[in-house]
This record gives sequence, C-alpha cells and structure tokens, in this order.
Amino acid sequence: MNLFSITDLTVDVSGRRLLHGLTLDLPAGRMIALIGHNGSGKSTLLKVLARQIAASGGRVAFEGRALADWRARDYARRLAFLPQHPPAAEGMTVRELVALGRYPWHGALGRFGPHDHQAVARAMAECGVTAFADRLVDTLSGGERQRAWLAMMVAQEAGTLLLDEPISALDIAHQVEVLALVRRMCHETGRSAVIVLHEVNMSARFCDHVVALKGGRLALQGGPADLMQPEALERIYGLPMQVLTRPDGSPVAIPA
Amino acid sequence: MTARLLPFAVLAALLWLTAALQLLPFAQWPAWPLDPARMEIGQILLGFGLMPRGVVALLAGGVLGLSGAILQVVLRNPVADPTTLGISSGAQLALVMATMLAPGLLDGGRWPVALAGAGLAAMLVLAIGARRGFAPVTMVIAGMLVGMTASAVATAMTLAQGQYLLSLVIWNGGALVQQDWSGVRVLAGVLAFGAVAAALLARPLRVLSLGVEGASGLGLNVAMVRLLAVGVAVILAAAVSAELGLIAFVGLAAPALARALGAVSIPRLLALSPLIGALILSVCDGLVLLVAGSLGEMFPTGALTGLIGGPLLIWLLPRLRGSTPPGTERAEGPAPRRGRPAPLLIALALALVMAALVLVWIGRVPGGWTVLDARSFSAFLPMRLPRLIAACSAGAALAIAGAILQRLTANPLASPEVLGVSGGAAIGYAGVVYLAAAPTALALTGGTMAGGASALVLIAAFVSRRDMPAERVLLAGIAVSALASAVLSAAMAVGDTRSFQILAWLSGSSSAVTMPGALALAAMAAVLWTGALAARRWLAVLPLGTGVAGGLGLPLGLARMVLIALAGMATGAATVLVGPLSFVGLMAPHLARRLGLARPGDHVTGAALIGAGLMLAADFGARMAGFPYELPLGLFASLIGAPWLIWLMMRSRR
Repeated sequence: MNLFSITDLTVDVSGRRLLHGLTLDLPAGRMIALIGHNGSGKSTLLKVLARQIAASGGRVAFEGRALADWRARDYARRLAFLPQHPPAAEGMTVRELVALGRYPWHGALGRFGPHDHQAVARAMAECGVTAFADRLVDTLSGGERQRAWLAMMVAQEAGTLLLDEPISALDIAHQVEVLALVRRMCHETGRSAVIVLHEVNMSARFCDHVVALKGGRLALQGGPADLMQPEALERIYGLPMQVLTRPDGSPVAIPA
Repeated sequence: MTARLLPFAVLAALLWLTAALQLLPFAQWPAWPLDPARMEIGQILLGFGLMPRGVVALLAGGVLGLSGAILQVVLRNPVADPTTLGISSGAQLALVMATMLAPGLLDGGRWPVALAGAGLAAMLVLAIGARRGFAPVTMVIAGMLVGMTASAVATAMTLAQGQYLLSLVIWNGGALVQQDWSGVRVLAGVLAFGAVAAALLARPLRVLSLGVEGASGLGLNVAMVRLLAVGVAVILAAAVSAELGLIAFVGLAAPALARALGAVSIPRLLALSPLIGALILSVCDGLVLLVAGSLGEMFPTGALTGLIGGPLLIWLLPRLRGSTPPGTERAEGPAPRRGRPAPLLIALALALVMAALVLVWIGRVPGGWTVLDARSFSAFLPMRLPRLIAACSAGAALAIAGAILQRLTANPLASPEVLGVSGGAAIGYAGVVYLAAAPTALALTGGTMAGGASALVLIAAFVSRRDMPAERVLLAGIAVSALASAVLSAAMAVGDTRSFQILAWLSGSSSAVTMPGALALAAMAAVLWTGALAARRWLAVLPLGTGVAGGLGLPLGLARMVLIALAGMATGAATVLVGPLSFVGLMAPHLARRLGLARPGDHVTGAALIGAGLMLAADFGARMAGFPYELPLGLFASLIGAPWLIWLMMRSRR
C-alpha cells in the first residue's frame, strides 16, 4: 500500500494557488526527499500531509484512509511532524520534551505508564540524547536540540516522520549527523520519512526517493539517479547544472 | 482617490450646518469680523462657540492624523498612533496630576505639562520597544499597557478628589466645546509646524522604511531621524491633549484609511492622513452635535472616536503583515528552573497562611498600631474574614487565569486584564447600573460575568483561527479593552451619581463582601485550580505552538476554548470584587516563573499562591495606608503592579 495517495490536490492561501492539481503516490518504507525552488510548494505539500493546513481541493489519503477521516490522536500515533522552526521549549528539560511525544497515546488525562517511560528512554537512546536528558532544551546547541526534537518524534512511536527543512539551521557536520540518524531510523526499523530539503546533494546522498516540485506542480519523481541528471536539475531549478562524479562513483551537482 | 473623500466632507459640512442653523437662521448670522459688543447672545454662541468648534475639529483631526501617520512610518508599525503608544494617556495623567497636586504648574498654560507627560510616556514605550527591535505588536502592547496604567492612576486620583469629578471626566473624554477662537489659533500653528516638519522628514523617512540596516548603509543617521520624527509626533499629540483632552484613535484610523484608499508612498500618506483625520473628527463631532440635544451639550467627542478604535484595531489585525524579525516578539531571556519545586510551594503556602493570620491580628488605631486582644479579635473577625477570603480567592483566580493565558498564547504579557475580559466585565457592570432601576448584587454579578463572557467570545473567535499568532490575539484583547474603556467613558460623561458608582467599582473594593460571596469566590478559585491541573498536559504542549501541538494530536480548538472559558469565568468572578485594573493576573504567573516554577502544574499552583498573597497585601495596604479611610483595593494592587510591569518590560534580554 502507498504511504500517501494524493489525487488532484490544490491549495489556495489568501487568494494565491500554491499547489495546482497535484497527483502523486508516495511509497511506504522509504526516506523521501521533497525538493524544489523557493515557493515551489514543497513546504505547503508537507503541511497538508501533516494536516497543518487544509487542502482547497482534491483528495489525500494516508495508509488508504482520507486525511479528514483520521482522529487527531490516531493520526499522531501513526505520523509525527516536526515544524521548520521548532519553538524554544523554554524551561523544559530534554526528558520532558521527549515525554510530550507520548501525548497521542495517553491524552490529556491518561496515566503515564511504564510503557511510556520505556518509549521515552528508547527514543532518547536511539537519538543519542540520553546524556543530556536533564538539561534544559534552550541550553542545547543547534544539533543537539534537533536531535532532542527527533527523539520526541521517535517517542511518538509513529511509523511515518514528516520533517520540514530539519537541517537548514545546522552546520555541515550536524546536517550529516541528523540525516544519517533519520536514514538509520528508516532503514533499521522500517519507518517512512518525508523530508523537505534544500540541498540537492544531501537529498541524493541520503534519500531513496525524490519528489521535485516546480511552481506548485510535479516536476520529477524517482530515485536519486533520476534526479542527478543535468537536464532534470535544470528543469527543476531553472539553472544549468553540471553533475560531476566523485572517485567513489557517487554524483555531485554544482551550478554550471 | 481624493474624490472618494468628497462625500465625507459634504457629510461633515451638513452635520455642522444642521447644528448651526438650529441655533440661528442663516439670515441672522453675525457679520465678519466678529465683534462681541454688537452681537446678540445667539450670534455670540455661533460666532464664538460653534464656528471655532467646527474649525477646531478639522484642525485637531488633522494634527492627530499627521501624528499617527508619522508614528506609523517611523516605527514601521501600522497600528501605532498616539493612543496605542500611550502618549495621549501620558499627557492626560500629567494634566490630571498637575490639576490636583500643583495647580501652579498650569499657570504657564497646559502645554508644558502635557508635553512633559506625553514625552515621558513615549520615552518609556520607546525604551521598551528598543529592547525588542521595535517589533510592532510588542510596541503596541507596551504602549497600551503604559496607557492603561496611566489612565488607572488618573482615574484613581480623580476618584480621590470627587469635587473635580465631572470636569475631569469631561476633559478626559475630549470635548471640543470652544468659547473663543484661541484654540483655533493654537492648533492652526501646531498643524503648520507639523506640516513643515513632515515635509522635511519625508525623504529621510522613506530611506528609513528600508529598515535599520539598509538605512544606515545608505548613510542615514537612524537614531537622529527616529528621535526627530517621534518628537514631532509627540508634540502634535500633546498639543491636542492640552487643548482638547483625550481624543483616541483618530491617529490610528486616518493613516489606515489613507492606505486603504491607495496611499502607498510615504509622502502621499503624510499628506492624505491629516486630511482624512480632519474629516473623521469633523464627522464625529457633527454626530455629537446632532445628538447633543438629548444627551446634554457636554458629551465629549473623544468618547465617540474611542468607540471606533476597538473595532478598527480588530479589523486591522488580520491585515498586519508578519514582517517582524523572528525572536523580537519574545520577552526576556530564559527563566531559571528549580529542580525540586515542592519545598518552594510549601514555603509559599505557609507564608500565605502566616501572613493571613498576622494581618487579621494586627490593626491600626488612631495614633499607632495594635495587636488585637481576644475580645476585639472576635468582634473584628466576622468583618475581616470574608474580605480576607475574598481577596485571596480573587488574587488566586486572577493569577491562575493569567498563568493559563500566558501559556496558551506563549506570551509572558498575556493576562486577563490585558485580554479585555476585565474590560468586558466592566461594561457588563456599567450596563446593569444604567439599565436596571435598583440593581441587586446578584444582577450586578451576573452582568459582570456576562460582559466578561462576551469579551471572551470575541477573543475566542480570534483564537479559533488557526493561523492567528498569539501576539495578535493579545492585541485583539487590547482592542476589546480599548472599546470597553471608550464605552465606559462615554457612559460616565453623561455625568450623574451612577457614574460615581461605576468609577468607585472600577478601582475595586472588598469592603462590602459578604461571607457567602467570599466562599463562592473561593470555590470558584478552587474549581479553576483543579481545572488547570487537569489540563496541565495541554498547558505544557500549547506554548510550543500550533505546529507541534497539532502534530501531537492535541485538539487545538477544543483545548483553547476550554482554557479560555476557564480563564474568563474566573476573571469575571474576581473582577466583581477587585475591579478590572489589578495586574495581579499579569504579575503572579510571572513571579512564579521567575522563581523557577517551570512545569505547568507547579507554575499554576505557585502563581495562585503568589496571587493570593499579592491581593492580601494589597487589601492590607488599602485598609491601612489611608487610615481611617479605605483606599480602593484594585487601585492599590495596580499601584504595586504598574511599577513591576514597567520594570519587567524594561529588563534587558539576557
């Protein structure tokens, strides 16, 4: 079954059409990059999938069920979303932040049971934040903070992760670290991830599937090899691009 | 675009002419130049009353429109104006204080005093704004808070000097009544000054519209231009305050309409705004003249313009572009966090109980202080206990409401006072006072809660919009407050004994509380506390914003509605006792957070204890400071709250 089946999706925000009748299937169990130029609608699409904004027309189904038919907490149990700018989480420890990921399971009044504790501990271990579990989130460095937020999503025990530009504020070492972590989560535990990315080379290196948007329409869908072609890149970004080959055979794209 | 203004000009002229012709048929109008020695009484009323009044309306409207336009351009803030930045209220407070405390200061005219007050208020607001990168919404929130505080103090002083009540209320409301042409001459001079200054500033302001970095990159002395422009705007606003009193929101409406009519460039905006301001004030004044027969000559025009301010702000809100740099709408740096909050909470609770015991036991007698003996203790207890319980409960309820709202909006400046709930409650109270022949206490309470609830519905309509940022919700609340205070001042300007009753209630008193009333309030506070604890997971997630909260499957709309309803009910109930201006709901949650109570449950509980303690202290102070007379409770609380608030906003970010 497809992770998401998108049919004829349009989104209008304050009179402007951001997505024009998008039809697209996203496969399950993959790490999917969502790329495109600024204003191409990639973040909009992600927010529709996360149910942060409503579609103006068309149908979107998640695991075979229309988005509107999911109850909020059931949806959050299946799918975790990280906004582009995670808030400061002032005065909260890492452990408390990660524990918030259990909300979809215990709700406003339910008991925080042993299974919840285990899930939090596992999530912190998986994302490597156990060492600073009792530190305040707002005292962490950018890379550590992003890992803490990822741990919160892992604690949700959702099979699907949606990430909106998770590496845009990180230096190159932390970019690699975060993407490698997400990749490991997908490949080792069978999760799916949809990630909005700006960086073509990072997308090609870490993701197994690429969806490119241009002007609110689908420009390309396929594997990293389909993306790393000069013609495909020029079609997506409207700029002549050159693809070089590294000694190990992997491609690198630069503006020509 | 100017053609579309023509109907309004005609309307203003017609309204004025109607009033003039009612006074005197055209054939008998006095000949120019006016010479009072050869004029009859009707001619004098026209020539030295109505005629200058019409001109003054035009001039003052123009001055205010220009002042607002300059402020909006220099602060790059479409909701700035002399009212929203607290400038007018500063002038008002200075004049009220001078009238009562040092009338000699007014010998040199009202100008220097008004200018000093306006300048101080503007400096304060700008100092706060400078620390937050002049973020528009934060500036306006700071300005409206400074304005509200100034008005609260002015109201309290007015109350303390009952004999001046009517004239001050009239002046506060901004009456345009004229006795001669001197006001016209003064305001014409001011407008001419403003026009020259605006012409000189137009080009630097256009460069400044690129932003600080861009403008200084082009070699502009940003600080100097800002100082000059704000200085001119303050002078203009203070001039109108000194001549006519508080005329609210014309400076906000005029540039907004000018922009709606298509004035995009800064020179056009500066040229068109005074014109529109003049028309707005003229039409308002014409309407006042039209209804003057039924409500009395002295109905202030400023009260009418105040009525347009609230709706206008609410209309402008969704149109504010989110141009603020991220982070600037935030408050000061991270608060400390306590590892184990329980000892602190227990200490707070013990301190509260101790304080309550001590305050019951000691009292002031003529000539000194005394500790009550057993006999007088049993005599005083039935009198003191209810108000003790009531004051504590009201403080706790307001504090919990404040903690909930601060977490809900992720804004440390949110509080029931700021969110307009108190203002709505005040309108409800005033409505019952005016509409019911002999209102019972129950009717008053019901009216107050109904008023608070309607304000809440308005705010909730904003909150339910998912894309509405928290600061905007706060601004909507402030708009409701502004509307409420405008309605109140209009009601009070009618001027009879009922207005004194409202004024007395506005500043709050706990002297008339009965035991059942106090217990009901305590129960209310307890219910609220339980509710807040039950909702503590929502309160933990909501400050993280809609993205995270929605992603975790939180029922956003429902959670907001429930929390707002809780906060609103508590505020309505507490407001009946302490009046709408206490600031306890702002202070207590903040203090709790600064003491290191970070988790929602601890935060709410600590805030409740601190709020109860603050109100207890305020009650004690109100009883003792002016012994044997009693000062209003809410006033005393806001005298503690206002300096705290200003200190809070002035603190630098760490």
